[in-house]
Amino acid sequence: MMDEFNDSEIAKLLRLKRYEQPPAGYFENFLHEFHRRQRDELLRQPIWRICFERTRDFVSSFSLSTLTSYPAAVTAVLVCAAIISLRIYQTPQPPTVAVKDRPVMVVPASTEPEWTLASPVATRVFNTRSLRNITESAQTHRSGTPRYVLDSVPVSYETTFKF
Amino acid sequence: MLVALASLAAVASLSAQQAPESPSTLALSREVKDVFARCSKAVVKIEATDQHGDLSGTGFFIDPMGTLYTAYSVGGEAENINVEFKGKKYPARQLMADLRSGVALLKVDLASPALPIGNSDQLEIATPVVAIGYPLDLAETPSFGMIAGFDRKCFGGYFPTRHLRVNLPPQRGEGGAPLLNLKGEVVGILLYTFENNSCYALPIEAAEKLRSDYVRFGEARYGWIGTNVREAPNPVEGSRAVTTEVMKDTPAAEAGLKAGDIVLQIGRTKVHEPEDILEASFFLTAGDAVPITVMRGNEKITFQIQAELHPTRLAAPPTLNRAMPLNLQSSPEGTP
Repeated sequence: MMDEFNDSEIAKLLRLKRYEQPPAGYFENFLHEFHRRQRDELLRQPIWRICFERTRDFVSSFSLSTLTSYPAAVTAVLVCAAIISLRIYQTPQPPTVAVKDRPVMVVPASTEPEWTLASPVATRVFNTRSLRNITESAQTHRSGTPRYVLDSVPVSYETTFKF
Repeated sequence: MLVALASLAAVASLSAQQAPESPSTLALSREVKDVFARCSKAVVKIEATDQHGDLSGTGFFIDPMGTLYTAYSVGGEAENINVEFKGKKYPARQLMADLRSGVALLKVDLASPALPIGNSDQLEIATPVVAIGYPLDLAETPSFGMIAGFDRKCFGGYFPTRHLRVNLPPQRGEGGAPLLNLKGEVVGILLYTFENNSCYALPIEAAEKLRSDYVRFGEARYGWIGTNVREAPNPVEGSRAVTTEVMKDTPAAEAGLKAGDIVLQIGRTKVHEPEDILEASFFLTAGDAVPITVMRGNEKITFQIQAELHPTRLAAPPTLNRAMPLNLQSSPEGTP
């Protein structure tokens, strides 16, 4: 390379470039243009990566020794213990609520004429309602309504041609 | 245009031809109303209790002393029988109940209107008839229909006598209701429903035979002479009923009847086929002599035979208080 461009040729080129000048205001806008291009380059990344880098920069701004100090560790343990104890205390409540809710579900079943069989609970309620109606109907029939007589078959018939 | 005018004229003429039906329909309706107005006073609602619980049916007075007919299923095996008459309830007692015919005779101690007894032999196919009954818990209700047939066999068995098949819509609670002709005379007793809009009625003559037995003997007394009959391969003198057996020590044997005799006539009933024997034997009364004409070879012989009470009926327990089948749709009982 150095063989192709000797000192005389380089001197010619420098002489030619001596008169080249940047456009007007180039140096005044240089810093502004630099920041703009930097922002554009930054916004091309996904948001999660930007947040991650911001968070990492924020955390890295603190020293690790501060985070691993004894009071901070104790506080973190206490917070976790409190959360876990709350979870354990609330876990038995859903079955209790469900048991109390079942009679509440039965009451509307006896008053509403129709029920869907969308869930096992609904099926159970439907059966209860049906049995109750049958029992009441049977009692009503026995006590009040007589048997209205009109036979569908003869009370007797002739078996042979005897006389 | 001409075609349209012709069509209009044709429609108008058809309408004019249909118009005369209205007066006849009105006349028929008037007759039914008249029958209902005259006869409904003698039709009563019957309430009673049997081993299955309370029951409700229909009955009707046949004399001014409170005697009434109803169905066996209503008054045959029931207790605490009450008759609702003019808005009041009167206790009734059972005079007679007959499982074979399916009717019961009751008595209420009061002066009552009575329905006249008609003649079912005068009925023909399509003769209009009216039934008056107490369906369900409703008031007395007329039903209009017509005679559809005279059947001896239905439901896979033989009726004890010819029954009237009536195209008339019966309803529950109308068992024992009177079947009336348009003169307001009783021609039958409603007993069984048949399909949806038909029913069977016992001819009133059959019920009157039982009432006659009750008046004479205090009970139903069906006669029996002691022979079996089957269908002969060839008719003789128009009859296919041939005796196959004459039982020993029976009125038939004592009178000289023999197996192989072709039965031509029993009393006033001419016999053409074995089913006619049922019709004739139903009206035999134990103790009464009946002329029976048979063909033996080429000889026509008439015997005077005094019928006896059927031996099984002599030994059988009284039909009263006999348990009815729990399922009313089950097969009916056979009778001797």
